[in-house]
Amino acid sequence: MTATIDIGLADVQMLVEEVWTSFLGADEPVLPAIEPGTPGGWSAAVTISGGWEAQCTVWLTEGGARAVTARMLMCDEADVTDDDLRDALGELVNMVGGNVKSLAASTASLSLPLVGHGDLTPASHLDEVVRLDLTWLGDPVRVSVHTPPEGADR
Amino acid sequence: MKLLVVDDSRVMRQIVIRTLRQSGHGDHEVVEAENGREAFEAVLAHSPDLVLSDWNMPEMSGIDLLDALRSSGHAVPFGFVTSEGSPEMRAQAEAAGASFLIAKPFTPEAFDEALGSVLGARP
Repeated sequence: MTATIDIGLADVQMLVEEVWTSFLGADEPVLPAIEPGTPGGWSAAVTISGGWEAQCTVWLTEGGARAVTARMLMCDEADVTDDDLRDALGELVNMVGGNVKSLAASTASLSLPLVGHGDLTPASHLDEVVRLDLTWLGDPVRVSVHTPPEGADR
Repeated sequence: MKLLVVDDSRVMRQIVIRTLRQSGHGDHEVVEAENGREAFEAVLAHSPDLVLSDWNMPEMSGIDLLDALRSSGHAVPFGFVTSEGSPEMRAQAEAAGASFLIAKPFTPEAFDEALGSVLGARP
């Protein structure tokens, strides 16, 4: 039996801000977007399964993804490789997903991260229950949590 | 002292090593491993004073690494650095013999507090 758990927008926003501040610096916080944009570029996802089912996804522009990676590695953006970028975005979504899983207080397992150039659209049987449209260094960032519809046959 | 840092992410290993420096533990020798299986071999080869390990890794997870070490008689102090800090995981870590669990995102202060409890307070 998979539990149905309400995940609050404010809780997810708080943990995303904490991840950003801790690993990317407090000088340039991630902020709510006034006019949500479409990040495109890269996306990274982790799935939660077992006692609770969900997918957490982070979308970033190409420039945003390179800036995140450069800050995490403390290197120049010009030195960032695609392997570095996949590694860094995977860690970013791993932290978001791990903390979302902890919010759910459920016995479940976190997958290893999946990172791709393009849109890692969640499985069609999942509904978006949280969407954060954010901005960082002027680039759009989106964080979403998808879960099965309430009462869905899983 | 010698620390073994275990994480499948090179980025996170660098962040952990940087945070060790920021927390005043930059003088320790650091050995790195990419997964639990590699870390098990590194414990045999390098006899670290502390293992700092991620939980969720390919090949062999952190909790399986800890179980393997304890099952084979290794008492090396062991701490998790992981993205999941739920009470259930902390209890599982403690039951398996871990000295602490640092949840990501972390601070240098969290590192100093956790490492101090195992390695002793810095002078």
